[in-house]
Amino acid sequence: MKHASRPDLLQGTLDLLILRTVALQPMHGWGISQRIQQVSRDVLRVNQGSLYPALHRLEGAGFIDSEWGSTDANRQAKFYRITASGRRRLVEETENWRRMAEAIGRVLSVV
Amino acid sequence: MWSRFRRALRSIAHRREREGELDREIRFHLEMEMSENRKSGMGATEAREAALRRFGGVDQVKEEVRDSWGVRFLDTLLQDVRFALRNLRKNPGFAGVVLLTLALGIGANTAMFSVINGVLLRSLPYANGDHIVVLTQPAKGIQADDVGFSPKEIADYRAQSRTLDQVVEYHSMSFNLFGRGEAQRVQTGVVSANFFDVLGVRPLHGRTFVDKDDVAGAEPVLVLSHEYFQKAFGGDPSIVGQVFEMNDKPHTVIGVLPPFPQYPNDNDVYMPSSACPFRSNPRTVDNRQARMLNAFGRLKPGSTVEQAQSDVSLIASQLAAAYPKDYPATDGMSARAASLKEELVETARPTILVLFGTTAFVLLLVCANVANLMLARASGRERELSLRMALGAGRARLVRQLLTESAILSVLGGALGLLFALFVREMLVGFVEKFTPRAHEIAMDGRVLLFALGSSLVTGLLFGLVPALANRPVLATSINSGGRSGVGARLSFGTRNALIVSQVAISFILLTGAGLMLRSFLRLERVDPGFDPENVLAVSVPLNWSKYTDTKSRIGFFRPLMEEVATRPGVTSVAMTQSVPLNESQPFNVAFVVEGQAVAPDAPKPQVDFEVVSQEFFKTIGAPLLRGRAFTDQDHDTAPKVVLVNDVMVRHHFQGVEPVGHRISLDGGDEWRTIVGVVGNVKQFTLDKASTEQVYIPFLQAPRVGTLLVRTSGDPWGLVGPIREIVRRLDEKQPIGRVRTLEQVRSETLASPRLTAILIGLFALLALIITTAGIVGVVSYSVSQRTQEIGVRMALGADRATVVRMVLRQGLMPVLIGLAAGMVGALALTKLIARLLFDVAPTDPVTFAAVVLSLVAAAALACWQPARRAAGIEPMLALRSD
Repeated sequence: MKHASRPDLLQGTLDLLILRTVALQPMHGWGISQRIQQVSRDVLRVNQGSLYPALHRLEGAGFIDSEWGSTDANRQAKFYRITASGRRRLVEETENWRRMAEAIGRVLSVV
Repeated sequence: MWSRFRRALRSIAHRREREGELDREIRFHLEMEMSENRKSGMGATEAREAALRRFGGVDQVKEEVRDSWGVRFLDTLLQDVRFALRNLRKNPGFAGVVLLTLALGIGANTAMFSVINGVLLRSLPYANGDHIVVLTQPAKGIQADDVGFSPKEIADYRAQSRTLDQVVEYHSMSFNLFGRGEAQRVQTGVVSANFFDVLGVRPLHGRTFVDKDDVAGAEPVLVLSHEYFQKAFGGDPSIVGQVFEMNDKPHTVIGVLPPFPQYPNDNDVYMPSSACPFRSNPRTVDNRQARMLNAFGRLKPGSTVEQAQSDVSLIASQLAAAYPKDYPATDGMSARAASLKEELVETARPTILVLFGTTAFVLLLVCANVANLMLARASGRERELSLRMALGAGRARLVRQLLTESAILSVLGGALGLLFALFVREMLVGFVEKFTPRAHEIAMDGRVLLFALGSSLVTGLLFGLVPALANRPVLATSINSGGRSGVGARLSFGTRNALIVSQVAISFILLTGAGLMLRSFLRLERVDPGFDPENVLAVSVPLNWSKYTDTKSRIGFFRPLMEEVATRPGVTSVAMTQSVPLNESQPFNVAFVVEGQAVAPDAPKPQVDFEVVSQEFFKTIGAPLLRGRAFTDQDHDTAPKVVLVNDVMVRHHFQGVEPVGHRISLDGGDEWRTIVGVVGNVKQFTLDKASTEQVYIPFLQAPRVGTLLVRTSGDPWGLVGPIREIVRRLDEKQPIGRVRTLEQVRSETLASPRLTAILIGLFALLALIITTAGIVGVVSYSVSQRTQEIGVRMALGADRATVVRMVLRQGLMPVLIGLAAGMVGALALTKLIARLLFDVAPTDPVTFAAVVLSLVAAAALACWQPARRAAGIEPMLALRSD
């Protein structure tokens, strides 16, 4: 028995983005949301309400780890870091995403 | 599932902590967002509101996060548990039957495991227990497992061994202790000073022995066993330092031992070897053949039992070479070292393992039975389950629901079983005591609790999975059809028959085992002991040997004792003997020669056990005199030496020759004794072995006796008081020892086979009852399922006899398959109990036939009622019923 409820596309996408972001370096939740926004040039504005449940779910599944640490401004924050199984998951999900994007692209170009 | 469960548990355990972290994490996020908003020019309030708006409901987010912690899983688990409990409460009869069978099954297993744990698995409760070896000197030539060690030999092994860092000696005698009120008979362990240090036993009060206690002429000292300390002195520690009289010398109590299993036998007190009048006698000390001691050794660090074995073998052969006179080649003496732990439980192991196997089978049977009950109920709940599926419950959720129910049942059953195991502990200890001194270590420790929990869970999984999986084909169709003839019922019916097959097979094995044990016990009980045990009282009168040192003084005590007792009303005859028949010890074999029979010098001398008995002995115990005469008053000290022999000895050594009148010698030809008669074979040691060859020496010529035997015309127990009185009148410091009737003696030798047979028999009976109930359930169910079909058959002309035959045939089919499987299993398994059987083959055809008959009869009985009900079906009613 894996996840009880099948993650919808949006949620799956959010997981992928989070994993991708923390794969670069450990980051706290706010940083992750800012980062996704910046990198996507403000196209993707992360729904902050679903960010934290997603982070905790990924942590529970063992894809990311967390640890309290200090920010540059010397404040305490909870930093998330990708785990080995998280990296494997990231590779898989990226591949899936590419395939799906390609497929959707093909469908759109035909119509 | 497991990791989720763990997470759920963790989230409960660290809930507060995690809540705090989540708070801080969200607050940090909001503050960052606010400061960002302020940078872009918002006011404080505005920035805060914008941040909160963007975050989208802090409480909602928290709730979602909590969900991801796995709390939801726990919620559904609680829901399942509540639902299951409600279901069970709705069916108290079902729940009661299941809980009772589970409690019996798990309880019996837990109880037997507590025995295995306490007796076979745990380390010995001596600090050095696992490093202690028992040394023995077997003598193959004279068929002796152990002839014991002499003090000189102990010293040699102590000095020469390279694998043992200590060698201690031990023997046990009974002495009279005098000092508080009446004289008491105490069993006394006589040990070397280092005995308790080597075992690793620390005193509870005072001290144990030190080297200076164990030198010639040392002040005699005593250490009390914990049992005796409690029994005789009420556990009062001020007993240390008190002085008692023993063997006519003052003995000072210096310490009290903690409770620990005593080996080779239980003692009331311990004394150093220098305090024992026999052991310290120069004739014992200087005689290499005065083999009266047990020996133990402690392995040096790094040495193994195998190394110790080759070490002592080497010493034995060196001693034999150095003192050929003391180690006659014909005796075939050697030395053996064995782990104490093994020796302690050697006789207990087979019985304990057989009983554990029995309870394991019972538990399997219980699983099959409960699975069957669950299945029957699940079939009854088909419509409920289908409905719940239709309303959106996932299959996994339903399976989980069923498993939750079985887990609850099994854990509750296990808890009851644990109570059951606690309840029977005393009884089990009493039973195991007959086999091993470790019986008192049986306790409910953590390992036993773990076993109970583990077996409960495995049981629950076994009987829970069967119905959960067998119900797989339950589809929504059964709602539509609305009838009782749903698809699922048919399929699970095959499973139910398979369960009956396994129950019958297991019952077959258990019944066969029980039958064999019972037949073995009955055979043993019917063994003729060679005497008539009814109405004979045996009173141990342990004379103080250090006071009554010579023949004259001993006869001067015993003769008036016998004469006085004989005058009591109801007494028909009185005798003295060295030891009672059936005393469960080992023969005290001596080599003998028959005058005129040549013995090759290198052949082993024939061995015979000897007993000292008074004139009326055979009359008193009711053993026949076959030829010649019994002992008389004329066979006294100065008269010609005489002897009686038993029938097996005559058959072995006097083939066809009249033995009466021949002379034999028991001391290599120094003294010759004339055979004056032949007596019947009295079982001197056990019922389950052939009679030993026996010679009897008249008490007047060797007054080494200690038990008074009194045959009475009525109940002999009334004589105990008068006998005690007579003994005290003869010597006020002389106690009487153990009092039993010969009937009790005989019954005690039968106690352990009887208890084993009863225990296995009870389990087998339980199995038979459960199985019969199971068959009734399955057959009744099938009849009720097929009411319509049977109605149709009858409407089409089938008569009632045909219907009965059909039900019987279908009901008995799985029983017959089970019988065949059980027969194969029993043939393979009963070999394992062959060692416990007396005079019965493990493949005893009578037992097997009886088991087949009783199982078939029980099964036919079980099918009969449902078959009659089937025959009573009214076709028209049946056709309209659905």
